[in-house]
Amino acid sequence: MKKIFMSFMLLVSMQYALAQESIPRISISLTNVSVLEALQAIEEKTDYQFYYLEEWVEDVRVSGTYENTQVSLILDDLFKDTVLNFYIAEDNKIFLLQNSQIYDTLPKDFFGKSETLEDDGPSYDDIQDLGPLFLNAEDSGVSRGMPVVKIGRENRNNRQRTFTLRGKVTNARNGQPIPDLAIIVEGDSGGTSTNANGNYSLELPVGENVIRTQGLGIQDSRTKIILYNNGTYNFDLNESVEALDEVVVQGNLDRNVETAITGVTLIEVEKIKNIPLVLGERDILKAAVTLPGITTAGEGSAGYNVRGGRTDQNLILLDNGVIYNPSHFFGIFSAINPFSTGSAEIYKGNVPAEFGGRLSSVFDITTKDGNTEKFSGEASIGPVTSNIVLETPIVKDKSALLVGGRATYSDWILQALDDEQLNNSTASFFDVVAKYNHTIDDKNEIKATGYFSRDEFSITSDSIFDYSNRLVSLKWDHKFSEKTTGSVILSNSEYKFGIEFDGESNDDFDLGYKNNETEVKLKMKYLHSDKHKFDFGISSKLYVVDPGDIVPLGSDSEVTSLTIPQEKGLESAVFLSDSYEVNDKLLIDIGMRFSFYAALGASAQRIYQDNAPRNSGTFVEAQDFDNNEVIETYGGPEARVSARYFITPDFSIKASLNNAYQYIHTLSSNTTVSPTDTWKLSDLNIKPQEAYQASLGLYKNFEGNKYELSLEGYYKKQTNLLDYKVGAQLLLNEAIETEVIQGDGKAYGVEFLLKKNEGKLNGWLGYTYSRSFVKLDSEFGEERVNNGEFFPSNFDKPHDISLVANYKFTRRFSASANFVYQTGRPVTFPIGSFAFNNSEFVFYSDRNKFRIPDYYRLDLSFNMEGNHKIKKFAHSFWSFSIYNVLGRNNPYSVFFVTENGDIKAYQSSIFAIPVPTITYNFKF
Amino acid sequence: MFKKHIGFLTALSIGISLVGCVEEFEPELQEFEDNLVVEGTITNELKHQTIYLNRTYTFEEEQPSAEVNATVTVEGGGNVYAFQESRPGTYTSINEFRAQQGTPYQLRISTHDGVKYHSSEMQLPNSTDIDELYVERFTTDLDEEGVGIFIDNENVLDGSKNYRYEFIETYKVIAPDWNNTALINVPDVVCDRTVKTTRERDEQVCYTTVASNAIILANTENLSGNNLRRFQIRFINRDNYIISHRYSVLVRQYVQSNEAYSFYETLRDFSGSESIFSETQPGFLEGNIQEDVNTGRKVLGFFDVATVSEKRLFFDYEDLFPGEELPPYADPCQRSAPKIAEGHGPEPRCILESLVNLDLIRFITDNEEWEGPQSDGGPFIVVPRVCGDCTVLGTTEVPEFWFE
Repeated sequence: MKKIFMSFMLLVSMQYALAQESIPRISISLTNVSVLEALQAIEEKTDYQFYYLEEWVEDVRVSGTYENTQVSLILDDLFKDTVLNFYIAEDNKIFLLQNSQIYDTLPKDFFGKSETLEDDGPSYDDIQDLGPLFLNAEDSGVSRGMPVVKIGRENRNNRQRTFTLRGKVTNARNGQPIPDLAIIVEGDSGGTSTNANGNYSLELPVGENVIRTQGLGIQDSRTKIILYNNGTYNFDLNESVEALDEVVVQGNLDRNVETAITGVTLIEVEKIKNIPLVLGERDILKAAVTLPGITTAGEGSAGYNVRGGRTDQNLILLDNGVIYNPSHFFGIFSAINPFSTGSAEIYKGNVPAEFGGRLSSVFDITTKDGNTEKFSGEASIGPVTSNIVLETPIVKDKSALLVGGRATYSDWILQALDDEQLNNSTASFFDVVAKYNHTIDDKNEIKATGYFSRDEFSITSDSIFDYSNRLVSLKWDHKFSEKTTGSVILSNSEYKFGIEFDGESNDDFDLGYKNNETEVKLKMKYLHSDKHKFDFGISSKLYVVDPGDIVPLGSDSEVTSLTIPQEKGLESAVFLSDSYEVNDKLLIDIGMRFSFYAALGASAQRIYQDNAPRNSGTFVEAQDFDNNEVIETYGGPEARVSARYFITPDFSIKASLNNAYQYIHTLSSNTTVSPTDTWKLSDLNIKPQEAYQASLGLYKNFEGNKYELSLEGYYKKQTNLLDYKVGAQLLLNEAIETEVIQGDGKAYGVEFLLKKNEGKLNGWLGYTYSRSFVKLDSEFGEERVNNGEFFPSNFDKPHDISLVANYKFTRRFSASANFVYQTGRPVTFPIGSFAFNNSEFVFYSDRNKFRIPDYYRLDLSFNMEGNHKIKKFAHSFWSFSIYNVLGRNNPYSVFFVTENGDIKAYQSSIFAIPVPTITYNFKF
Repeated sequence: MFKKHIGFLTALSIGISLVGCVEEFEPELQEFEDNLVVEGTITNELKHQTIYLNRTYTFEEEQPSAEVNATVTVEGGGNVYAFQESRPGTYTSINEFRAQQGTPYQLRISTHDGVKYHSSEMQLPNSTDIDELYVERFTTDLDEEGVGIFIDNENVLDGSKNYRYEFIETYKVIAPDWNNTALINVPDVVCDRTVKTTRERDEQVCYTTVASNAIILANTENLSGNNLRRFQIRFINRDNYIISHRYSVLVRQYVQSNEAYSFYETLRDFSGSESIFSETQPGFLEGNIQEDVNTGRKVLGFFDVATVSEKRLFFDYEDLFPGEELPPYADPCQRSAPKIAEGHGPEPRCILESLVNLDLIRFITDNEEWEGPQSDGGPFIVVPRVCGDCTVLGTTEVPEFWFE
């Protein structure tokens, strides 16, 4: 426990000065009393409480008489001839420190205290070989004030290079174990976290290791452990009393092996800082795409395809609110501010029972909590956008506000271009986010988030296009007891777009689309026992979709006002899951969700003849429904079952089975997400989509989580996927059901991921083999595609390799590389010509019979951190990156145009040349 | 109506090209499929109706090959109208007939190899006449100056909301360098001798007739009162020589069924300029023709029954651009004085002789600087044939409908 106080030393002078003003004055007279008695006397006269070890003060006696003197001055005087120092913390705690004695007795370049602990193994006396480790020049500055512990004796006969360090972490004040404390091995190794009983176990390489502990409310510690053999070391840690400069909680380092859930990925913003950027934007969703199983159709395409799923099957949540279009400028930038984002948890396999409504994945993105201690911020300046996030405490230690904003100056770039057509264009976007977090007391915490993003562009002089996402969410966490916690979440989000067309003729218009959803969710967590942990709750979501309206613009426009009637739907669910630890090795997560959907009026539902394709010819009648009258209901049970079995402590096998329903669908005739895509609710004619997925994976961590290896396979079946007839018109169409076909899908794949988490060289390598197919069959020709057989979906890319590597030259300089290879996606090629209407046309092959050329790209970046001086105002970070270093002209799409009766083939690509970018970030 | 303007998204692709690019490439030949292509519109005009049958063809081929020796009939209203092959691939009804309201018509085809096809039953939509066809001097959104040809349709009957337009334009061409002196070759020792003579054929004023090949569609679904106003059929840049003198256009308006309209619309979208952000999902475009016995053989095309109305318009360049300079002629008409021969010795290349033999030049005047074979040029100043002979571009026959 003595060691723990040591780390205060650096802070003493500063904090002491701050505390000075409020220190009470007392009068006291002491004559040759023990320090113990002196401190008791002061305690009686003040509210102060002293924290120290009796052994430090046992033989020290002090004297002095003080009249109306500040306690701090009294202590200064009393201790002037002792080795004691002190620190006055908030809430009237005074910590005594014993320090200078240590300095006096240690070698000049070794500031620490060494101690030998009991040894588990056979001893051997000679430890001289490891001596030079102590004198490591690089470490000498870092280890200032750091205790040094030797564990075990080296056994020369032992060829083992790693040993196990075990121990317990307790709270120095009350002796209680500290659970979920991160124990981090600095440098090359990983780390672990303490379990509920405060115990930990860590594989460490032989020799010197620096162990850092971090946890909320617990003061950080650093200990140098010199390990010669297996051993035990207990930490006795103090509660946090100093202003922590951004605590990074790194618990669960081995979560990939340990959790029961399959196909889950955690992306931490700090970790992606070095991935090469395009146009200078650090981007959490772009980082996701470098992981197996998540792809986009190409550059400049919004929307993600997860495990062979469509782009509308991803539930993208920002602080529990849904974001419908998380991209700016057609997907070149994501609309999530990277600086305000804490982390993103991506579920692509088994989705926890609390989430539902989308088939393929959940992107659970969390905004970080504002800094409740001090004002801080982070900003970046790039060639196209700038970004700033500020955090400020509102009530110190209790509540804080985080505000972030990002905007582009691409207008300026467009106007600087020579092209006449382009410099009349505008393209602008921005997003803002604000989060307020308030810890009311031990039991209650409130978090509120607001988010807004907007894009507007006008590429031709006669049209303006815009879209926006708006989101508000409110979360109240309440702790009912040690075992039961609960949250109430209220969220509302709105997505809309509009087009204004103001041209020459009589059809100028203003078009709008909007959808809005409001959700109330109650979720509870009940830690029944070590064996059973329950999560359960209910949720209900109201969708209101305004599928489009068009109004004439200007007095001579003859466009008829048209409003496609509003659609309403209520999606509700109850869910329950039990994380059941059958034994040390087997953990089963059994979840069940029952979702229920009701399409609500007011509405006129169109009814078509049975056994006929839906078109205007088979329309029978429109059936009217009153406001909130139930039109049709859908629903069913959704299983979310997964299990983990430890083959060895760092090697596990997991399996899962799950299914889901989706009641809202995008209508898009494009391969990728387009800004004119609308969302359509299930109704009388359009059934919900359904998916079933089974997955099986193997997970292995090496060298104390330094390396993570996983191999996961899945098989997915989908029904009632929405697809479109050739040439379907989806926007402003009252009879959408006549344009769509519902069909089956199947997808399967194997995902391999090797990650190196620490060290000078870190990063990951992912490889995915996956296939995705669709089948659109019907007895009617117009509803059948490719003869009703399975054909590859638009995003079926069997091979996908991505490599992300960072290399740290020094603490300040690092380089990163990002390499991507993907099989070209399927396309429908023209296979011949035909003459019609005096013109030549192409005719196409079966759908998706051919592929565009393979995609590959290499990006490089070089990063320079500002120097690490503690007193500096801001910490800066320069990043220079080149996107597409190889200048690969990756075709994004291939299309054919009939020009003057001749057929011309074109391919388009977004970034066909290397794109260099320089970005400046700073943090304060 | 609306969809037309979504085309502005096309321009977005230009926007993005500040970092990206769109480039032409040569597609590789994929597996070719040889299929029947049917094109036919039966109208409410009393005439010999026509159905065209041909085959799909590869990218390398220039022209489709005709589907010959097929048996073609149209059935409707209890009648069977037989067709005969008037030219390869063109089948004309033996008797004149017109499509009647309220009667379903069906096309039946039996190819020479015995495969039988039929169309869906199609009906004649309500008819609507073109109210107004007019021309205006017009500047496009992209600041291109020229003339626009527009249509107004008022008081449209219910049930006719889909229009397809075809036009046939006829314009007068006057060869700028025409004169009545012609050049002919007289046999000579090494190279033929080229001499002047009086031209017999009229080559000064011609008329050119060209049919549209674009798919021009309009619909009034989202417009109040079913009225179509200021719908642009054609835009001609003011620098286009075709409007230099007198120009006429015949616009044919087909009122189409929903089914036909959507077929043509999809066909147009397939071939139209695309945006990288809004690509149409291409696929095999199924028309309304199918095999009698389904063997998976594909057939392209459409059989439609439509009402037709037409209107003709004339205008002179002077009407719209009074006193302004004429558009440049179809050719810059560079003058030259080609040498009689190039090179020496027994076999020089005979230049002037070849140009006259191949009918590539027209005489302007004698070359006064020419002093004999040693001179730089040749004996005559000439221009490319098109500058003195309008028959390169059209025919001297005045069309029946033409008036000045």
